[in-house]
Amino acid sequence: MSSKTRDLLLTNVLAVAAGLTASGLLLLFLGANPLVTMGTLFGSLFRDSYTFADIFVKATPLMFTALAFGLPFQANLYNIGAQGQFYIGSITAVGLSLLLQGRMPGLLALAIVALVSFLLGGLWGGMIGWLKARFNANEFLVSMMSTYVALNLMNYLLRTFLMESKAEYPQTNPLAQAVWLPIVVPGTRLHVGFILGVLACVSVWVLLYKTALGFRIRAVGSNKDAAELAGINYKRLYVVTFFIAGALAALGGFTEVNGVQHMLVQGFNPGVGAAGIGIAILANGNPLGMIFAAILFGALNVGGTIMGQLSGIPSSINELMLGFVMVFVILAYYVREKLEDRREKARLKKAASL
Amino acid sequence: MIELLARTVTMGTPLLYGSLSEVYAERSGVMNTAIEGIFLMGAWAGFVAAYQSGGNLAIGLLAAMLAGLLTAALYGWICIYLKQHQIVTGTAINILALGICAFFQRVIFGVPVTPLIVQPLQPIALPLLSEIPVIGPILFNQNILTYALFLLVPLANFVLFKASLGLSIRSIGENPEAGDVAGIRVDRLRFLTILFAGVMCGVGGAFYSIGYLGMFTITIIGGRGWIAFAICFLGNWKPLGVLAGTLVFGFAEAVAILMQSRGAGLFPNELFIALPYILTIVLTVSRRSFNVPATLGVPYRKEG
Repeated sequence: MSSKTRDLLLTNVLAVAAGLTASGLLLLFLGANPLVTMGTLFGSLFRDSYTFADIFVKATPLMFTALAFGLPFQANLYNIGAQGQFYIGSITAVGLSLLLQGRMPGLLALAIVALVSFLLGGLWGGMIGWLKARFNANEFLVSMMSTYVALNLMNYLLRTFLMESKAEYPQTNPLAQAVWLPIVVPGTRLHVGFILGVLACVSVWVLLYKTALGFRIRAVGSNKDAAELAGINYKRLYVVTFFIAGALAALGGFTEVNGVQHMLVQGFNPGVGAAGIGIAILANGNPLGMIFAAILFGALNVGGTIMGQLSGIPSSINELMLGFVMVFVILAYYVREKLEDRREKARLKKAASL
Repeated sequence: MIELLARTVTMGTPLLYGSLSEVYAERSGVMNTAIEGIFLMGAWAGFVAAYQSGGNLAIGLLAAMLAGLLTAALYGWICIYLKQHQIVTGTAINILALGICAFFQRVIFGVPVTPLIVQPLQPIALPLLSEIPVIGPILFNQNILTYALFLLVPLANFVLFKASLGLSIRSIGENPEAGDVAGIRVDRLRFLTILFAGVMCGVGGAFYSIGYLGMFTITIIGGRGWIAFAICFLGNWKPLGVLAGTLVFGFAEAVAILMQSRGAGLFPNELFIALPYILTIVLTVSRRSFNVPATLGVPYRKEG
């Protein structure tokens, strides 16, 4: 293990621990014993296979949204709109599933739904990249705002075209079982989407480090002007990168709708976009690392929810843990820079004394 | 129409606090990407302090400023002194702010049976001025936070372009090395600018809770911090530019509120709610001549 990898693992483990400690200390304000409560959090994860499998269920959409931030990040682009792209995928998935179910074999319908969600999410995301390429529009702002547009689009559709037949709540009819994503482990909610998520992470890793496109993405990220001089069409790259990012986030919406919810409810999964950013930075931008980071966040999510049910801790503990962990992970970046600095200086000193 | 324009000024007020402060922050070379979280902290702290003090809004405002200051200090410490990534840090702090507000709202108030409200800031009709036809009811029947801006905007413009403090702030955003050589302590001035931005954004956030609605919900800001952030870009990093920008967005919000209260018309409500966000995208796309501060978002690292 190189000293850099060791630094990365060590500082990040400490950062997560510090983040959890900070959130735990705040539990004192509720008169709860942090040690006992945190013990409940982690203990409850292993209480039965259903709960344990739920960690991976929760990790599934997070892998997709982490990639949606992490891939453009490699090109020095900021996609803060994964939440909206996730919603576009969810809307597409639920609408199309309701349309196709019963008219064709379930697996065929699922394949079409996945493909169309992927494409529409890609177009939604690709639009951001196109606006940046064509008009030099700030992608950070546009992607941020596109989330609010997608949210309102979803709310509108849930009130009108997609609203349940009972017309009581802003939600859709449940999907027929034929278009549910198959369960992988019987007796749990763990569905094929998790495997898709892992495959997506591996594919993006291959794309980034083993293909010419990935090389170009990283080249634009490290020095846009040099990349342009070397003949890389960075404008087209903006569109392609954002297309893939949007498409991946939308796939996350598809797996969540067809794999877990089996319907679309107003305001569901509001934090996946932001959590995705946290996961991407915890993994230091490495798509393979995002698998593990997403599982960690999934575990915190499941544990936090159970903690709420068992001991009346408000669900905002989830945002607290996420926020604190992210802040400490950023501090860990600083610590790593300092460690690397010190090693560099030691090397120089050694070289000078020879 | 007059009511609509009056509401434009009201709804533009918090956005102007945010975007004015963002102009200063970005001119010094630091994006305040924690703006959404600082708005939320301001809204929450302002409400809690006002509620607990039996409706004392001055105490609420002070608390909002303090909350904004502290949040900005954390952000500034990480981004300016520890030189970490501004967009990533901002995202982290925004989530943390969400968690802290939601968590402590519960710690302090439990699950209240009746909605918690305070009497919000009341409009004060300025004598004589408010009786001028058209302009009077639009500009001179507002609350004190709006009036404060009548002084703050010209002052901000003067300081930024005419005073030596403004020159220093702009110079460290354009060329921190030169500023450093000229004896400006770059990181310290950037940090102070961010603290100022935190106080202003705290007030901006408090406007929503205790200046307007008289209550707090966790979705009260709902992206308006980001709109203020966008206005800074759209206003070309100038106090007068962001003044124009906030009026446009204030108008969009005023129209949205009016249309929602009128109920279902030809267009769905959601379209009007989304209007300010769509407007941001359209304006971001169509606005060309940017004078982006040269080192915006880049931490200053001394050689050697």
